Amino acid sequence: MNAIEIKGLCKHFPGKRMTKVDALKGLDLTIEAGEVFGFLGPNGAGKSTTIKLVMGLLRPTSGSASIIGMDASLAESRRHVGYLPENPAFYDYLSAEEYIAFVGSQFKIGAALLAQRSEEVLHRLDLWEARKRPMRGYSKGMVQRVGVAQALVHDPEVYILDEPMSGLDPIGRALVKDIILDLKKRGKCVFFSTHITDDVEKVCDRVGVIVKGSLVALDRVENILRSGVEGYIIHLQLPETESLSFAGIEALRRTDSVSEFYVPCSAFNAFMGEVNRTGTKVVLVETKRRDLEDFFLSLVHTGQES
Amino acid sequence: MTTIIGITLKGIFRDRVFQGIMVTACAFLLIPVIASLSMRQVTELSLTLSLSLISFILLLLAVFLGGTSLWKDIERRYTFSVLGLPISRQSYMIGRFGGVALFVLLAAAVLGAAAFAVVTYSSAIYPPDRPIVWSTMALCILFDALKYILLIAVAFLFSTVSTSFFLPVFGAIATFLVGGVTQQVYEFINSPASKTLSPFVKQIAIGLYYILPNFGAFDLKVNAIYSLPLHLNGLFLTAAYFIAYVGLLLSVAAVIFARREMR
Amino acid sequence: MMRTVSSGVVFLILYLALITPFTTYLKNKPFVEKLGYVPSVTALKAVAADFKELVAASLVLKVLMYFGGLVDEAPNQVAVPPDYMSMSRLLHGAVKLDPYNMDAYYFAQSFLTWDVKQFKLANDLLDYGMKYRTWDWQLPFFAGFNSAYFLKDYAAAARYYKRAGELSGSDLSRLLAGRYMQESGQTELAIVYLFAMEKGERNPALKKSYQLRLAAFRVTRRIELARDRYRETRGAIPKTVEQLVTGGFLSPPPVDPYGGKFYLEVDGKVATTSKYAFAGVKNNRTKKAGEIDERH
Repeated sequence: MNAIEIKGLCKHFPGKRMTKVDALKGLDLTIEAGEVFGFLGPNGAGKSTTIKLVMGLLRPTSGSASIIGMDASLAESRRHVGYLPENPAFYDYLSAEEYIAFVGSQFKIGAALLAQRSEEVLHRLDLWEARKRPMRGYSKGMVQRVGVAQALVHDPEVYILDEPMSGLDPIGRALVKDIILDLKKRGKCVFFSTHITDDVEKVCDRVGVIVKGSLVALDRVENILRSGVEGYIIHLQLPETESLSFAGIEALRRTDSVSEFYVPCSAFNAFMGEVNRTGTKVVLVETKRRDLEDFFLSLVHTGQES
Repeated sequence: MTTIIGITLKGIFRDRVFQGIMVTACAFLLIPVIASLSMRQVTELSLTLSLSLISFILLLLAVFLGGTSLWKDIERRYTFSVLGLPISRQSYMIGRFGGVALFVLLAAAVLGAAAFAVVTYSSAIYPPDRPIVWSTMALCILFDALKYILLIAVAFLFSTVSTSFFLPVFGAIATFLVGGVTQQVYEFINSPASKTLSPFVKQIAIGLYYILPNFGAFDLKVNAIYSLPLHLNGLFLTAAYFIAYVGLLLSVAAVIFARREMR
Repeated sequence: MMRTVSSGVVFLILYLALITPFTTYLKNKPFVEKLGYVPSVTALKAVAADFKELVAASLVLKVLMYFGGLVDEAPNQVAVPPDYMSMSRLLHGAVKLDPYNMDAYYFAQSFLTWDVKQFKLANDLLDYGMKYRTWDWQLPFFAGFNSAYFLKDYAAAARYYKRAGELSGSDLSRLLAGRYMQESGQTELAIVYLFAMEKGERNPALKKSYQLRLAAFRVTRRIELARDRYRETRGAIPKTVEQLVTGGFLSPPPVDPYGGKFYLEVDGKVATTSKYAFAGVKNNRTKKAGEIDERH
């Protein structure tokens, strides 16, 4: 059973003067159990709209969304989901501990297990000291961590996290990244949205890029990284007379007896043939590629021009 | 749903609403003094003042708690986190309503005890002509609370369609005022004095009479103050009316709230 | 910081300078303004929602405070005649809102009769109250007295007294019904009535006015008794009160607590220039102002 299934999902919002805004245009997306999926897109692309539709907070104009085979309009579909809303807010008169207990009770966890889990997640998210204080005194980062904690407490199969890193300091971001990697190890499905490519590159199995309500790319992260290879930087040990050019390619620079050459993918085989023929010593080969950020930016630019 | 009721009650208490009520309830201390100004009905006056004070506090609670409860959840984005839990919109809304309604009942009970003390004191110093019927007074406060719970349901209905708190708060106040006169208007329409009105206006007024809540039946103040006998039949009918009307309001509110988009 | 403090001081001085003239202004506001304007009762009923009893009680209290203030300030002076018209209007509004409010009936009938001489209006109001306060013996008791003493409608008075007697189960009303249903018993009727009223009264202002009136009627009764003794011994009706005093029938000489002077009418009926009200003295002096402006 797929963790999340989105079929032909469309969402219109009423705009100004009787117009309508297409927030989402026929999105098809399937997230498998046990995979970590990064949902990438610029602000206003439709990431949150998609997540709210999956969580049943919005009703689709057309199409459908389901979680573990259950339609998103049913409350029961959220039984196996840990959800972190974007910029979350929780009943601020409650303490973190009370809120976690409230969430646990909604998932019908037994009292003993709940107490144990609650302690675990509060420790994990570094909220143990503050657990008895009402949340209205919390900083933004602390509230965000409560959001992660309440998504974890019932140990669900599926996690839907809307911008889980926002509002966190570098330590908090590292912590959340760590938690996601940990969930991945335990075979959980994590679907999270972000506009920061670095997050995706480090933790995701697959990534989908959404621009202006349409999915413009969907692939495994390693494929994207591989397809982004443009050429190689090759360091060769050459005698001084031959140091400035090799196999028709000019050296980028030379230090001591080592010259650096930029070899595009297309010229790689010919270049390496020459290396073999002359018996030149290869010191180092580096891959020169566009990273996910460049990939993302190019997609966004083409998406927005269209 | 019970946890939502619990969370709601906790929220009301933590927002110091109860302390606010207690401060307002200090006015009870003045009642014996004011009541002693009366010439012939000290006990009756202290009953009038006590019951009116309770009514006033409950009105404020109904309008402000009822009108802002859902609105605040949406405004402060609590709905995203709570409705992301496996809880249906209906039970969430009914739980919120139940919490506020329970608080109003609780406040009515506490204020009722204060009124009991005040009236006992007044009647001990200036014995009334007619004995006070305590059960009537208790019923008066109970039906007062029921009336305001009905008003809370009205405020919730307004909350489900509104994005601001103006409609629920002012809508509830307007409903309270209108609900108090519907019976009078109806009686006027059916009296010969209304001959000059056009039949069209009459039809609309009668239509509104059946749609709008009728608070007249819930007002037992006169019975409590002057120890007038109660009509049990009427009370049962009023209680049944309360259940039917609140059930109807909440059903409509639940349908609207379930379809509402959380943007 | 200094600025905030200094501006605070300026405002404090301003407040202190204003507070005295402000309170004086409020204190000296015309009485009509003080009593306030009562909008139409129908409108009031709608706005009062389920606070009708409270609004009614507050109207009654307003009238009471106003009246109490006048009596306390100047017990024997007629500085300003009370605005009986507004008082009556407010009390009528009050019983429309809360037809059970006893204070309103009680107070309205007390000044509508003695002071304003609107006996019919008073009894209409009492009749209205009797429809609601079906257990209350006081309303027919008041109405009975009004009918007998002021309106001289003995049939109606008997009816009222019968009802009062039935409701109270006491002899007082039945006693009144039998004994005083005639012109000659008027003074005694008033004394018994006033005595009962004075005893039951807790409002100091009203109690004082009852005591005063009771004292005046007791003096009247003393003169009546002296007059009767004079007639028995001399076989003729005396012409003046002085005749009674000099003849040794009346000692000490009568003093009208209202400041008036007792005299005997041609048929021997005892009367006073004050007409049992402070305003009576004034009226005699100024020879104007209608009944509505009269005061104790």
